[in-house]
Amino acid sequence: MKKPLLGEFETPSSNKYRVGPLQSIHMPMRRFREYEDVDYVIVGVGSAGGVLLQRLARAGFNVVGLEAGPFWDTEHDWVSDEAGSHELYWTEPRVTGGTDPLALGANNCGKGVGGGSVHWAAFTPRLHPSDFEIYTRDSVGADWPITYDEIRPYYEQLELEMPVSGPAYYPWGHPHGYAYGPHPMGGVGNALIKGCSALNIPVSIGGPVAILSGSHGDRPHCIYRGFCIQGCKVGAKASTLVTHVPDAIRTGAEIRDRSMVSRIELGKDGRVTGVHYFDNEGHSHFQRAKAVIVSGYAIETPRLLLNSACPGHEKGLGNSSGTIGRYLMAQAGNVVLGRFEQPVRMYKAPPAHALTEEFYETNPKNDFARGFAIQTVGPLPVAFGKQVLAAKKAWGWGLRREMMDYNHWAAFGLLGEILPWKDNAVTLSEDKDCFGLPIAHVTFNLHENDKKLIKAAREKTEEVMQAAGATEVVQEARYAHLVGACRMGSDPRTSVVDKFGRSHDIPNLFVCDGSLFPTQGSANPGLTIQALAARTADYLVSQGERIFTSNERDMTTTPIRRELAPPETWGKGVPRLK
Amino acid sequence: MKSHFDGVDPILCPRDPKTGEPLPPRSQPGYYPGFSTLSQGAFWDTATRAVVDKRVKHPPEPKFFAAEAWTFWTTVFAHLIPQTDRIPERQIPIVATLDHRLANDQTAGYRYETMPPDRVVYEIGIEAIDREAQHRYRGKFLVLPYLEQDLVLKAIHDGKPEAAQEIWKHMSVHRFWQMIMGDAIDAYYAHPWAWDEIGFGGPAYPRAYTRLERGEPEPWEVEEQRYVWLAPANSASAEVDSSPSHHAESGQHSLPVRSSKGARR
Amino acid sequence: MANELSLTPPVLDMKMVANYVREGRFQRSLALLTAATSVISGLEVAYEHYRGSYSRRVMYTPVILSGLLAIAGVAAFFSRRAARTVLRLVSVVTLIDALAGFYFHVRGIHRKPGGWRLPMTNMIMGPPIFAPLLFGTSAYLGLIASYLQREESSGMPSTSGRDIWFARLLPPSAGRELLSAEQDMREGRFQRQVAIVTGISALLSGFEAYYSHYKNNFRYAMQWSPVVIAPVLAGVAFSSIKSRRLATTALPAVSAIAGADAAIGFYYHVRGVLRRPGGRKRLLYNVMYGPPIFAPLLFGAAGMLGVLASLLRRRRV
Ligand SMILES: Cc1cc2nc3c(=O)[nH]c(=O)nc-3n(C[C@H](O)[C@H](O)[C@H](O)COP(=O)(O)OP(=O)(O)OC[C@H]3O[C@@H](n4cnc5c(N)ncnc54)[C@H](O)[C@@H]3O)c2cc1C
Ligand code: SF4
Repeated sequence: MKKPLLGEFETPSSNKYRVGPLQSIHMPMRRFREYEDVDYVIVGVGSAGGVLLQRLARAGFNVVGLEAGPFWDTEHDWVSDEAGSHELYWTEPRVTGGTDPLALGANNCGKGVGGGSVHWAAFTPRLHPSDFEIYTRDSVGADWPITYDEIRPYYEQLELEMPVSGPAYYPWGHPHGYAYGPHPMGGVGNALIKGCSALNIPVSIGGPVAILSGSHGDRPHCIYRGFCIQGCKVGAKASTLVTHVPDAIRTGAEIRDRSMVSRIELGKDGRVTGVHYFDNEGHSHFQRAKAVIVSGYAIETPRLLLNSACPGHEKGLGNSSGTIGRYLMAQAGNVVLGRFEQPVRMYKAPPAHALTEEFYETNPKNDFARGFAIQTVGPLPVAFGKQVLAAKKAWGWGLRREMMDYNHWAAFGLLGEILPWKDNAVTLSEDKDCFGLPIAHVTFNLHENDKKLIKAAREKTEEVMQAAGATEVVQEARYAHLVGACRMGSDPRTSVVDKFGRSHDIPNLFVCDGSLFPTQGSANPGLTIQALAARTADYLVSQGERIFTSNERDMTTTPIRRELAPPETWGKGVPRLK
Repeated sequence: MKSHFDGVDPILCPRDPKTGEPLPPRSQPGYYPGFSTLSQGAFWDTATRAVVDKRVKHPPEPKFFAAEAWTFWTTVFAHLIPQTDRIPERQIPIVATLDHRLANDQTAGYRYETMPPDRVVYEIGIEAIDREAQHRYRGKFLVLPYLEQDLVLKAIHDGKPEAAQEIWKHMSVHRFWQMIMGDAIDAYYAHPWAWDEIGFGGPAYPRAYTRLERGEPEPWEVEEQRYVWLAPANSASAEVDSSPSHHAESGQHSLPVRSSKGARR
Repeated sequence: MANELSLTPPVLDMKMVANYVREGRFQRSLALLTAATSVISGLEVAYEHYRGSYSRRVMYTPVILSGLLAIAGVAAFFSRRAARTVLRLVSVVTLIDALAGFYFHVRGIHRKPGGWRLPMTNMIMGPPIFAPLLFGTSAYLGLIASYLQREESSGMPSTSGRDIWFARLLPPSAGRELLSAEQDMREGRFQRQVAIVTGISALLSGFEAYYSHYKNNFRYAMQWSPVVIAPVLAGVAFSSIKSRRLATTALPAVSAIAGADAAIGFYYHVRGVLRRPGGRKRLLYNVMYGPPIFAPLLFGAAGMLGVLASLLRRRRV
């Protein structure tokens, strides 16, 4: 076929706001006035912000999401193209340093409604029960102020809402099964299965990933085009833009896009009163609010709080502990490349489609605490080129030759737990952004345990690649998934917020995103971020008006409110053994 | 025969390993003859088609670089990603893409603390490379013969430039190399002609991929047909390092001391 | 071994069976066959729909119905009453479900990116278009069975259990026609009908084989076999409508070939499943995403129908 039937594809020009080929968003949405004292302002409509917005709107609150990036119309704004997807990422200036500086930009956070969930690979494993108490178990890192059992109903709930595809029985951590069936394998997944099977390592096939293996209302299932990290135009991959934002808008939330929050305002009574933000033209505005939730990602959240320093909060808003920006974490994400005699064509199928968590837990035989996972990745040409540059020091003709073999390579990513260290931090740089706001300076250093863990993880991953039949194995060091930097805890001296994300210092200021994590395990953080957001929302809903009027801190956990889920959640999915 | 090399110096062309003779440039190098992602444009969505079309048909006009800087970086990129196996009409513009990025001050979204801002990098980079050329071969980079140019760049690739230490004090050699190579890769491998070369299927929405396993081609893709070729005799960039993971986590920090085992093979 | 135990030589056995079929006295066997095919197509649809994640509740219906149909088939084996009531009812409901399924599959393909403008891609990657109709095969068998006589019955076929109430709903001439068709069926005089179903079933499963093997780029020459045999079978089956000769000569022959091909296909599919990465260790997954192991049997079902048709009599004129 030279052309599709009826000629080349044209995106229908309709004034519908499209998020995927079939799904659209009900516009116009509700608009609030700036002088209106809305109930909640959410800074950043990303992974966490999207879920929060939907929950709070459905519960009947007046809520505005201020989002620095655009409100995507996926049919018009997104492309199946690596270079053309630059805009999905946060590319405002930042400085990175330390002994092991992290690559930022495309490597970590999103900009635009949906945030990082727009360009994540959508691996959605849960944390393990042990992750919540690694200090108690291994005397490293920190304990969470909550246990696995407290977050578990939210895992189960979000796995339905995204929904997550995966095996019927997932053996690691707290064993469970998934809402949607597993995906078919691409070449990389098959390599992982082969390698693991040869070494007798259990492997989870076809998930857990928040990618549809069957249709879900107006979201078609995956077409295996492999552009997940460039934003899924199909809408098969879950992003809060397609899973939660449509319902939020339907139930009366407002999203003000291209609105960059610059400062949170503190009133005389020690409570926040709203936020200052710049619109797309650079004009400054102030939105009043009864409470503020910051969901801007593990870099922008601490940056905003630090930039909001004011009399009484000289070190940053709500920073009496001095821990805002501290204990930043990233996971080791070394990419191991293997060359196979037979072609692989790793650009097909989603990058995320198989993994093993067999080495996740602390093993007394190791000389380090905690562990790692091994996952599939499927770099497209530009990304692969840079990996070959790093892994093989290739350039010039050498690079050209290696790249001609693109279709012979498969790539695994390890995901290794790096512990929270005080010296890994987000601070303010001398440099300013286009609004004149100090930009973030990120410092990252590996410590002994981290280095040993990475070495072991790398060797194991290489071993699996070899067992899969690769004739040449090379690797590149990288890091992925920044979390921490505004951690939650029970002790106000060593943490920024309490177990519901509420600032220890300011009763109507909340943080809700990946920066809450006290530790990170070696599971991708996205599911946990969204689960925490749903949990925070339930808490806020149960507290009702008290959040706006009282300085009291009620620490009772409320039962999960499943009725706040987007209605399309129900009536789908495979039978599951709970 | 000569006409086959139309516009390209045969000495700079890859060679046939059997005869040692230079191979004439092709309109499409690589192992997938006849494969054309662009011919599939009708199966892509409008937005993607527009972006890719623009890339092919309307490379950005020079804006940022002055004429000399443009020439300088054009020459450098001809080493970082040489294209003498391509006929001139089918060479992929690299500097134009970079120029566009710098003109709009687009960055990757971060700057290493050991690096100046990107625009400055491309300014002082010229000086650093020229000084290395002067130091090694007593001539500015542009006037050196191809091989010597290659060797100047290789010194930086190896992390061992000998001149311009005061520049390198403010700019990590390793990060500098990473940036210029990164820009070259960003431009070259984003181009559909490069996709055809390496057999990448290209955009795939609304049309899906259906043959996911065993590296099987889609009906509109092409089976691999390998041929052997050698890099041009007078180039220094052909060697790669295939030893598994002896690198420290150097991809990420400090000036790595690279053992170029591969290079000595 | 079975032969040794059997009192009559196999040839006579065969003859007897053929006679039963000829006279429409095979309700119990066909009911059991219905149950067996229903179990297989139930398994097939269960995991195929698992692949589709049961993303609509309606996807459970064929799984449940094939269970019910299997039960009804067994019940019909034991009870003539069950054969005429439960089996008939469940068969009809299942047939309707098959039609609904066909609608949903067509719509499912339409709703894939590119929809019907990318027919090949979306048939390969979307819901298998004809699978629901093929799923209806066992229900069709069940329906026929419900009208037949039991093996042990002798003499004139009885007329009880006719759909008189249904015939009354129709215009008089159509009602009479229905009753007479039923009567013919009871007497094994419905060769043409089965031949038509055979032809359709062969075409549909041949087409399914075509695009699923196309997905695989016809890596093995053997993958062409169902694609080649299916139209031949369909051709012969449709010609049998006209020609009684073909119905008793070519039809059984081609049908037997189709059956043999199905058996070979089954073997290859099982082998394909086991040869996948992880092989036996990931058996469930590999059954799900390997070559569909029961699909060749659906092709075999067309063959089986062909054999059945060849043994039947034609309608009285
Ligand atoms: C390539 C890649 C692959 C990934 N793959 C996975 C994966 O497979 N699985 C997984 O679990 N995770 C993955 N991640 C990580 C995941 O995307 C992030 O951890 C997650 O999205 C973070 O959620 P968040 O809510 O903390 O922030 P985000 O989702 O990034 O949301 C923050 C939002 O806030 C906005 N914002 C920030 N500051 C301001 C401000 N001042 N004013 C207004 N708006 C503001 C931003 O524009 C952004 O939209 C991946 C990340 C990358 C980069
Ligand atoms: S591979 Fe699937 S999930 Fe990923 S972008 Fe393509 S359709 Fe979306």
